[in-house]
Formats: sequence, structure tokens, C-alpha cells
Amino acid sequence: MSKILIAEDEVLMLKALEFKLKKDGYQVDVASDGRQAMDKVKSETYDLILTDIMMPFVGGMEILSYIKNDPLKKSTPVLLISAVGLENVVLEGFSLGADDFIYKPFNLNELSVRIKRYIKQNVF
Amino acid sequence: MNFFETIFKYIGDTYTDRLSYFPTNIRVSLLIILFCIVAMVELYIYILFKRASKNREEKQIKYWKEHIDNMLANVVIYDESDDTDEIIAHFYPKIKKMPLRNPIVNNILTTEILTYHKNFTGKVPEVLAVLFHKLDLDKKSRKKINNKNWETKIEGIREANEMEITDMAEEIVKYTDDENGLLRMEAQAAYIKLSPSNPFHFLDRAQERILDWHQVVLFEIITKNKKLAIPSFSKWLRSPNDTVVMLCLKLIDHFMQFDAAEEVQRLLKHHNPKIVKKSINIIGKLELEDAEKHMFGVYFDHPDEIKLEILNSIGKISSGNYAEFLSSRIYSADTKIKMEAMYAIKNDPDDGENKLKEIFKQTTAENRTLIKHVLDNRIKP
Amino acid sequence: MKEFLATFEILFNNAIFYYAMVVMASYVMLTLLSAIEMNGYMKKNSYLNYREILVSPLAPSVSVLAPAYNEEATIIDNIRSLLSLHYGNYEVIIINDGSTDSTFRRMFDYYQLEKVDFAVDYQIGCNDVRGVYKSKLPSFSKLTVVDKLNGGKSDALNAGINVAAKDLLLCIDVDCIVQEDAILKLAKPYLEEKYQVIATGGVVRIANSCKVEDGKLVEVNMPKNLWPRFQVLEYIRAFLMGRMAWSRLNGLLIISGAMGLFDKSVVIKVGGYDHNTVGEDMELVVRMRRYMYEQDRRFKVVYIPDPLCWTEAPADLSILGRQRNRWTRGNLETLWAHKDLFFNPRYGILGMLSYPYWLFFEWLAPIMEFLGLSVFIILVIMGNVNLEFSLILMSMVYFFSVTLSTVAILFEEMSYQQYTKGTDLIKLLLAAFLEPILYHPLTIFWAVQGNIQKLLGKNSWGAMTRKGFKENKIPIKTEQTTTT
Repeated sequence: MSKILIAEDEVLMLKALEFKLKKDGYQVDVASDGRQAMDKVKSETYDLILTDIMMPFVGGMEILSYIKNDPLKKSTPVLLISAVGLENVVLEGFSLGADDFIYKPFNLNELSVRIKRYIKQNVF
Repeated sequence: MNFFETIFKYIGDTYTDRLSYFPTNIRVSLLIILFCIVAMVELYIYILFKRASKNREEKQIKYWKEHIDNMLANVVIYDESDDTDEIIAHFYPKIKKMPLRNPIVNNILTTEILTYHKNFTGKVPEVLAVLFHKLDLDKKSRKKINNKNWETKIEGIREANEMEITDMAEEIVKYTDDENGLLRMEAQAAYIKLSPSNPFHFLDRAQERILDWHQVVLFEIITKNKKLAIPSFSKWLRSPNDTVVMLCLKLIDHFMQFDAAEEVQRLLKHHNPKIVKKSINIIGKLELEDAEKHMFGVYFDHPDEIKLEILNSIGKISSGNYAEFLSSRIYSADTKIKMEAMYAIKNDPDDGENKLKEIFKQTTAENRTLIKHVLDNRIKP
Repeated sequence: MKEFLATFEILFNNAIFYYAMVVMASYVMLTLLSAIEMNGYMKKNSYLNYREILVSPLAPSVSVLAPAYNEEATIIDNIRSLLSLHYGNYEVIIINDGSTDSTFRRMFDYYQLEKVDFAVDYQIGCNDVRGVYKSKLPSFSKLTVVDKLNGGKSDALNAGINVAAKDLLLCIDVDCIVQEDAILKLAKPYLEEKYQVIATGGVVRIANSCKVEDGKLVEVNMPKNLWPRFQVLEYIRAFLMGRMAWSRLNGLLIISGAMGLFDKSVVIKVGGYDHNTVGEDMELVVRMRRYMYEQDRRFKVVYIPDPLCWTEAPADLSILGRQRNRWTRGNLETLWAHKDLFFNPRYGILGMLSYPYWLFFEWLAPIMEFLGLSVFIILVIMGNVNLEFSLILMSMVYFFSVTLSTVAILFEEMSYQQYTKGTDLIKLLLAAFLEPILYHPLTIFWAVQGNIQKLLGKNSWGAMTRKGFKENKIPIKTEQTTTT
């Protein structure tokens, strides 16, 4: 079973994502702020990471750059959730190696399809 | 008599029998001491009471939040193909069972529905809208809009806005020119989204200033809302309200509305320097070559801030008609003007950088340092 | 002789009484004003959403200026937290003020800096800039490092201003813990006031015993040590009560040197920070205000009560003493440099209210207290004093100040409630009882000492700042607090 980490500081959104991905049959780990997320990322291995960009303590970008700079983890797909549509944020995200951006508001079912695709790619 | 009894007796006497024998200042001091002690005791009781009631409320909030979180998270994870009515039929009775009259429960439920509605697209907002209506929460929003209190009005308007309850637009429009800034802004923001036929009607009647802050908010809403029919904003450029003109200029800039070209050029003579500056900026972005001569004509009449903007604009248009003018500005006495002129030359798509490099060879030492700065792409202007 | 002394004692008691009455009345007024202002701010703020300003291309652009002198231990973390502030259009400028340790080397290596062809436009005076550096990595594109010859804090800030490319300047102490939404909150008044805003200031809070991880505040605790705890109380009183009231009157004189956002064009017009005072933060605001009055332009200086900046307060008495001594001298220098403002109607609130208040209460109060106490002791020695009356007068002052502190704690409880633990609240309330006896006399002593040193022309800042502001600021570059 594939293991996914969701990092999102808005508890309500976190819950929706958690329930949805559990329903899709993944093993889901959650973090409600950047620090928790960072601790988890450091200690465990995930098949995919879904993280908000703006979180207290540690931002999504830092988590992203940690993963993409770790030779063992850098193949893990990282999807960034953002309400910020600023070009430089997107550019920064992609230059750090983000696999995809999800803009709020988004369609949960579409997200679930995307995640399926990234996980499949990674298996082969 | 022990020690404490002596003290109490002393204090008692001081405030009773002896009080009238003290000089005035001492008597006043004694009264102030008494007042302070009473005030302090009351403050302590109040602070403790506040803490206790807050703790109690927090516990309640935590309990209900957990409960409602779980319930709503289950509502939003359905597939697109699932039937809306079925989902509602499944959850509605469960929600109804909660003590919805409790303001805490009601508030949490409302905010959470709003949050999900705002953050998701597709099936979710559809289901939530039906739920909102079925729970009579929309009636509550309407009541809030007509409340006396401006804070409550704002809450109601926000709810109508988030849930896209279009038939409330008529009730909201009357607040778009209210004297209370926050209420006015909230009403304008909601009206744009809710008015089906004429979302920018409020600009016609805006007497009150649209503060810069409100412009930021309105700009975000107008530029991010894909469903909105964008009008030609040039029609408000003659508004007597400068803030309306400013907002429209920003929007003309964002949407690159070339049809506004003539009106924007007219604004070069506007009395408000901020508007003049923004107009020049737009002329540059839209590359309105016709306007170059007008800008050149007024260049020397303006303060530095506007001069810089003109140079920048001429650089963006880069028609070549004013190349000599730009090169002459490199010898201005003001460093900022020099730099801006250099950037303008560099901006010329027709090999601007090389032109600047040519100038570099035959200019003063000071200008050389500046040109190096301008040519260094690692430094962002 | 005996008769004369008796008359003198009555006069003396009366003088103390009336002075205390005036001071207390002014505190009551300020408290009422700040209550109104606080209430308005909290109400308004609960209806605001800062998201729009965060993502908007229309938001004002901000240059964050942080001077660094011998900060090798923390500089990397400090920069990292400054780069992760929540704001769209901003840059971070670190000014290395001729550090003698490895501060610059560390930044150079960690952030992979390279020298750029920056032509510094010396619009305001500062020591020579040796070089301007940018990072080679795109993820640090917001960072600029200025390397300059040592010249002290004011000089470093001025160099930063000369390099800054944005419209607003956020001047901060590099070792402060800056809340992520600080720029958002401070920039907002620039967008919503009717008149031009020239500066906004934020609250400084005390970070002793708080839990900090990676340069970010994780948990707020009451300082374990008693001296910082008194300062917590002092800061709450000064910021939530004093400053808020002055903001209401639009007469605010100080914006914290630890965190303030300024309109760059006005700062440049007035010539930047003054090198010749140890109270450069207050002096700048006074000069900016003057300038606006002289230009007949309407303006505002706004103050934001949210806790945006946390700093380590001196726990050591000798360091604390040096800090207060320096504040007093800074105060005096500013008041002296701008003495023509005194009741000068040309300068509106600044001349008619802020300046005289500052002179009579902030500067004079500790001196008066000191004199009063000295005379009292002399009278006691001469056996010529009605001890009961004196004690009653003193108790009045004591109870009034405890009540005032309690009201301040109430303000904190009603607004931000940073100290969530019940025990912390009790500690704070207890501190209010001890403060007038244990802490207050010390602050008076330091203030008097500072005055004497200044009057004797002992400009100890001279030698120290030339070496670098660090030395001066070992007592943590916090902030002037009023003794409210």
C-alpha cells in the first residue's frame, strides 16, 4: 500500500484530504504544521508528499527543497498546494523540483486522479 | 492584641474616626488607595472569570469542531458521479440532530461549510449550497445583512458572497457606498460576484473613497474571477472620484485594454500626480507610440518621480524616436534619472544592451559604474 | 530653623502630592485612550483577511534591512527566517557592518554569494560599501548582502537604505524573532489611511524562556528569571497602553529600533539615521515628523499592537543597567537636538503635546522621584518628618502603580493573551506587586546615572559605536519603553 504524507495547516482541509485519500486506499500520514511535516519527512519514507506552501514554522518550499536535495528521497513526488498564484512562487517551486502545483480552489476528485498517476509513475 | 489586630485596627481607624482630621492631600491619598484596592480586586475577579468562561467555551468549541469536522469531511469526499440528493438525504438528518440553536455549533457549521465551499470546485460546492439552503442558513445570512450592527452586516454579506446567493445582491448594493469603510468594501466585493447583470454598477455611484486596501481586494476579486464579464474600464476614467479612476487604471493595465488608449492619454493632464504617474506607466506597458510626444512635451514640467516614469515608459515603447533624448539624460545631474535612462536604453529590443555597451566606451567614469550596474542582470531593478 | 523645616515638610509633601496627581491623571487619560484604540483595532482586525495583500501585485514593495555585526553564531538561521516571511514583493538586505568574526564568510559560503556590479548611490551619508553580493541560487534571489566598513548601527542602516530598491523599509534587529505575518500587518496601514503614512511600528515582546526552534517562536513562556519578568510587565504596559494611546492621538514619538516600517522617500529626504545619537530610532521619527510639518503635509505614524517581534531581554542587571543608561542618554540627546519643538504650535501635536509630555514625564519623572526620595531621606535623618503621612503618600503611589499594571494585564488578557498558562498569569500578577519595590528604583537609578553622565559630557557611546554597535547593544537591542 502506498504511503502519502499530507501537510496542511488548515485542519478542515487536512481532514478532507485525509479522508479522501484514505478512501482511495492509501496509507495516510498527516502533519498540521511545517515542523511536524519536516520531522516526519526526515524520519520516514513516503511514496508521495502533498504539502501546503504557507504553513507556520516551516513552509512547503523548505520541505520541498529538503526532499529534492536528499539523494535517497529526491524521487518522491512532491505536490504543492497553494492559494498564491504569484508567478515567482510557482517558478521558485518548479526550480526547486516540485512535481506539480495544486491551486485552491481545486477539485478533490481531480486531485485524487493526479495522485494516482504520480504514484503509478513512481512504481515503474 | 496581636500584630494583625493592631494593623486592622489602625486601618479601620484611619478610614473612620481619624479621616476628617487629616490634611486634604492625605485624605485624598487615602481615598485613592481605597479606590485602587477595590479596583484591583474587581480586576482580579474579572480576569479570572474571563479565563474560566473562555476555557469553558474553548472546550465546547473543541468538542463540536471535531464532530462537525468529521461529518463535513465525509460530505466532501464523494465522487463526481454520486447523486447529490442521496448525499444530502444521508447527512441532513445527522446534521439536523445537532443543537443548531447553540450559537457555537451554528457558527462552526457555517464557517466550515463556507471554507469547503471556497476551497473546492466540482461536486463539493454544489452539495454544500444545497445543504446550506436546506438548513435555513441562508435565511440567517439575510437576517444578518439587515442587522443594525455593521459587524453583523459584514458577516451576512460574507456568507452571501461565499455561498454565491445571487438574490441578495439587491440588498447588498445599498451598502456599496456606506460611510463605514469595511462594510463598503465587503459590499462591493460581494456585489461584483453576486450581481448577475451589472456587477460594476457600484462604480457609477461611488462617492466614498475606495481606499488602496480596498483596491487590492477588489483587484484580486476582479482579476481572479474567471466567470466575470470584464467591461471596458475606460468608461469610468472620467469619474470625479479619483480612487475610482485609479482602480480602473490598474484594471486597464492588468487586462491590457487598448481601447482605453485615448482616455489614458487624456489623463496625462490630470490634477492628481498619482493618476498621471499610473497613466504614464500604462502608456509604456501598452506601448502607445502616439503618446510619446505628449510625454516628452511635459517631461521637464514634472517632478523627478514622474520624470522617472516617463523615461521608463519611453524605454518600453522604444520607438527610437526619442533615442537621443534618452542618451542625453545619461548626463543628467540626478543619479536616479541617469540610471532610469540607461535601463530605458537597455530595454530596447533592438539590441539595447549593445547600444549601452557602445555608450560605455565613451562616457565618464561615473557613468561606467552605473552602466555596469544596469547591465548586471543579477541585480533586479 | 525648626519652624522652617516644618513648613518645608508641608510644602514638600504637597509638591510630591500634586506632581503625583498630575502624573497619575496623565496615565489615566492614556489608559482610557488606549482602551478606545485597542477596542477599535481588535474589532476591525477580526474582520480582516490578509490573504489579498499577500498575493496582490498592488501591495507596496518592502526592503527588509538588518544590520549585522559579529553575529556568526546565528546569522544563517536569522537570514533563513527573514527569507521565509509571508509577503509577496520584498527583498532582504543584510548589512555586514565590518564584522571582525566570520559572519561574512558564513553568509558567503552558505548562501553561495557572488559580488555584483552594484553602483551604490550615496543619497545619504554612510561609510564606504566594499561590495554588494547576491546569491547564485535562484531560491535565495530575495537576498542581498552589503559588505561595508564598520560605522555603527545607524551607519549600517543608512548603507542599507542606499542599496534598497523597494518603496518601504523594514528596519529590524537581525537577532529578533520576527513573526511571519509581520510585513503584512505593518504594511497594511500604508494602504488604508486617509493621510500619508510615514512609519508604522510594531510591538516588541520578550522571548526569554520561550521555546524557539529554527529561529521561530514555538511556545510562549513567562521568563523564569525575575528581571526579564519585570520587563515583560513593563513592555506590556508601555506597548499596549502607552503607545496605543499615542497612536490614537497621532503623537507617537518612538518606533522601536527592533522593528519599524518606514516610507523610504521620507527617510531619504530627512537624511536617514543620525550617527550622533544613541537614540537613533526615536530621533529619526521626530525628524520625519518635523519634516512633514515643515512641508505642510498631513501624515500619520501608526502603531500595530500585534506581537510581531520577540527579543531576548537582558537578565543580567549590569547589562540591563547599561541598556537603560543608554536609553536615557538617547532620550536626552533627541530632546536636546529638537528643543525648538517645545510648545511650538508650528509643529501641531508634536510640539504641543508629544514633546512636552516626553520632557515632563518621560525625562523628568525619574529625576523628580530621585530628588523626592533623597529629600525624604534627609528629612528622616533630621528627624523632621511625619512618617505616617509620608507612608500614606507612598502607599498611594504604590497602589496606583500596581493597579495600572493590573489594568495592563487585563488589556493583554482581552487582546492577545500570549501567556496562556494559568501559572504564568499568576506570576505576572505577582510581578506587578513586586515591581514598584524591586525593579522601579533600579530604573530610576539608571536614568539618573544616564543623565549625569550625559551632562558631564561622558559620551561613552563614542568609543563604543566606532567599534561597532554590538558592544552598545549587548544589552540586546530591544527598544525604548516608556516607564508608563
